[in-house]
Amino acid sequence: MKYFARKIGLLLFALFVAVTLNFFIPRMMPGDPASDLIDKMQGIQPEALESIKVAFGINTDEPLINQYGKYLLNVLKGDLGISLSRFPTPVSEVLGVAIPWTLGLIGLSTVISFFIGTIIGIGCAWNRNKKSATFTVGFFIFIRSFPYFWLGLLFIYLFAFKMPVLPIGGSYSPFVKKEGFDYILSVLQHAILPASTIIVSSMGAWILTMRNNMINVLAEDYITVALAKGLPLKRIKALYAAKNAMLPSITGFAMSLGFVVGGGLLTEMVFGYPGVGLMLFQAIQAKDYALMQAIFLFISAAVLIANFIADVSIMLLDPRVRDGGK
Amino acid sequence: MDNNRILNVANLVAGYEIKKGFVKAVDNVSFTLNKGEFLGIAGESGCGKSTLAYGLMKLLKDNALIKSGIINFNGNDIQSYSNEKMNQIRWVDMSMVFQSAMNALNPVLTIGEQLTDAIFAHTNDSKEKAKGRALEVLKLVDISADRFDSYPHQLSGGMKQRVMIAMGLILKPDLIIMDEPTTALDVVVQRTIIEKIQDLRKEFNFSVIFITHDLSLLVEISDKLAIMYAGKIVEYGKASDVFLHSLHPYTKGLMNSFPSLTGPIKRMGGIEGKPPDLLNPPEGCRFAPRCEKAMEICFKEYPKTYVKSDKHWVDCHLYNKEGNVNG
Amino acid sequence: MLGDVFKLFIENKKAALGLCILLFFVTVAILAPVIAPYDPKVNKIETIEILDTDRGRNKTVEREKIDEFNERRVYTQEVETTYEKNTKKFPLNSPPSSDHFFGTSHAGQDLFSQVVWGTRITLLVGLVTGLFTTVLSLTLALLSGYFGGIVDDIISLFTNVFLVIPSLPLMIVIAAYITVKGVFPIVLILALTSWPWPTRLLRSQVVSLKNRDFIKVSRSLGEKHSYIIFREMFPNMISLVMASFFQSTMGAIMGEATLEFIGLGNVSIVSWGTVLYWAQTNGALLSGAWWWFLPPGICIALIGTSFALMNFAIDEISNPKLRKR
Repeated sequence: MKYFARKIGLLLFALFVAVTLNFFIPRMMPGDPASDLIDKMQGIQPEALESIKVAFGINTDEPLINQYGKYLLNVLKGDLGISLSRFPTPVSEVLGVAIPWTLGLIGLSTVISFFIGTIIGIGCAWNRNKKSATFTVGFFIFIRSFPYFWLGLLFIYLFAFKMPVLPIGGSYSPFVKKEGFDYILSVLQHAILPASTIIVSSMGAWILTMRNNMINVLAEDYITVALAKGLPLKRIKALYAAKNAMLPSITGFAMSLGFVVGGGLLTEMVFGYPGVGLMLFQAIQAKDYALMQAIFLFISAAVLIANFIADVSIMLLDPRVRDGGK
Repeated sequence: MDNNRILNVANLVAGYEIKKGFVKAVDNVSFTLNKGEFLGIAGESGCGKSTLAYGLMKLLKDNALIKSGIINFNGNDIQSYSNEKMNQIRWVDMSMVFQSAMNALNPVLTIGEQLTDAIFAHTNDSKEKAKGRALEVLKLVDISADRFDSYPHQLSGGMKQRVMIAMGLILKPDLIIMDEPTTALDVVVQRTIIEKIQDLRKEFNFSVIFITHDLSLLVEISDKLAIMYAGKIVEYGKASDVFLHSLHPYTKGLMNSFPSLTGPIKRMGGIEGKPPDLLNPPEGCRFAPRCEKAMEICFKEYPKTYVKSDKHWVDCHLYNKEGNVNG
Repeated sequence: MLGDVFKLFIENKKAALGLCILLFFVTVAILAPVIAPYDPKVNKIETIEILDTDRGRNKTVEREKIDEFNERRVYTQEVETTYEKNTKKFPLNSPPSSDHFFGTSHAGQDLFSQVVWGTRITLLVGLVTGLFTTVLSLTLALLSGYFGGIVDDIISLFTNVFLVIPSLPLMIVIAAYITVKGVFPIVLILALTSWPWPTRLLRSQVVSLKNRDFIKVSRSLGEKHSYIIFREMFPNMISLVMASFFQSTMGAIMGEATLEFIGLGNVSIVSWGTVLYWAQTNGALLSGAWWWFLPPGICIALIGTSFALMNFAIDEISNPKLRKR
């Protein structure tokens, strides 16, 4: 229980820090982005100008604490400001449209990548001395070193341009009605390349992690005992080796979620996939700070929650953690 | 084949393949074991006893292997057995009790699961029957039944060791190899475990090969004693013979290294020096550099076996074929 | 002991390969002015051929002007040089050729030169950030792990919190606000978003070392803290610190490329990331100009692989279970 409570506490505190960062970053930056922005936007509506001022805290009449308090309240209410680039739509609405696409693409790809990677990693460790294992490991080390977005570009070039098998970007064909089987098919078709990019580039990390964990576990004494007992290899591989090797993997999974999500965002940008990532990209170009911050908040919250889920999973899988906490 | 003989090891050579060559951790070892007999194997760290234990169960892995020799168990030459065939005897006829200090229990499975999976691997017993047997053996080692669903980290060191013993017994094997089963435990717990092993042996009459560096444990409970040094058995015989009439200087050195509870206070002896490199062992007697009775021939030639009496033999130049003591 | 580790490292095939690749790129970076055939930003070569070979190169023309008012003659001399300017414009958007090994950009700039010169910035940013991050996280780890108590609690709390806040979005948000352009802000941003991971890693090791007997012995002997940290602990942590450094450097290189690609870095400098940025914004992909984005990506991957190989070697050296026998 103590473990659980600690993890929840950490989650809430981290969320709090993320929100606070969101508040202070625009107010702390060198240079003067606010005036910069205002100058650039000659002749915008007064309401828009007002929202910029509020976002940047240029209303220096109010003490900082008050502004902070108001900001916190707004966040809790779900009011994240007005989007500049899609004025006057509130940010929360803009975000709401993009979130399902991102959850679908990045969420699913990450999970698939984790499972495939883990299984391959187990195989690479179990068959450590085979050439195929060495080759796989080497191959993925190389692949992993390519920037995510670059792999996306390569895939587009090969499969959408050179051999126009798959669509270049977007989440579904604009010619298809937004419902029915055709729609689903189109969505899947458009998701193949971006998903593959994420899966291929992040799989390497899981493979290597799991392989190393397995190798360490296979050297443990309880594996020797299991062999001495004449247990079937399948059982040893699964319940004695893999189950123990998974534990640090899941911890690693939680910790690297941030990176994976980052990579996913880039993939969206490259493929023009209308998720949160692309939105962030557009927000940057349009200098829509309110939207940018909201996206940052959303992503942080998502990663923190996913982390928390991973922590809980460990608690369920590792009896030692249940009893004492690590 | 002698009906009473359960294990016959002849000229066993086993060790580790490394880049520079082959390390002979077990160098031409031979001994026999009868039904219900207790053989103690004593020697210092690195003398090859663990390699011997693992070798007998064909558990050597990676670069560790059996180079040559014969292991005849229950009338079968198991050194040539495939892994599948070996699995049929493993745990059923021959089992092993590992050191509790080792991470011998899987941390993510309950004790019960780890006890019963051995049963499921070798029989078609139902869940209830298996659980019943597991509870039976837990009772034998004085562990309460409610521990069936406990995880290893919830048990003390002594309890874990007793679980290992229970695990070794669960399929009623003919031979149990015990590798330093009391090493990490305090003396009181050691005593309990040793006594427990005695009781169980009386009841079930299984043979035991007990491996340890602590000779004091073995003298009371062993039937036979083998003293191992640098990959070779240097002295072997009935426990009482080896203990009371030690022949080899190394054995004498070991006997002198632990104080007796009674009797006059003696000056303690240790044995200076350290064991030789097993990659390129010396030509002569391996104990020669540390032996205070070493003669010239000791460094040049490996001593021939001298059989003193009914199954008490020693490899030492101090004794020649005629039974005379040299030097 | 250090010498032994180094020897093991060199002997290890993976490390040797990794080191070779790295040294290759370092050499390219240092010798950039020599290796790159053209200036990365120009799209033409202008050669000047002086024509007047009749009476030397220059012609001096003397003019006389009579100033009647002041009763004097004013002489002016002008040197006239006649030359022929040959402007060879680079082909636009052309695939690799013998003149341009990596082809040219849409504006005719030589991409090979860009990649060669870009090596400097990329490696510089990577190594400096890696060094900075490693020093920062090592310091935090030592303070936190060795001294324990409140210091540890505070540092650990912040480390754990920042560890879970995803770094890319944070980087993007910060970079978007910075109007000061340059290499230094990039280094700073990268360092500030990548310190948590190595700090946590190193701290675990400090804590486990702290409880080892040889440290306890030193403390009971009354050795000064600085002695224990630098002479006893640190040598045992070298392999982990090295691995950390490689990871941080690689992360920085990737981070820099990413920031540039999105357009948040300084797009006027020449680095592998900016090459990719210009490729993307000019639609290189869709016009089939594969040569524009291929080389920088491959170079990044090669450096990444070299670090990974060296990392692998370090892992194998410090954890014998991983070694092949």
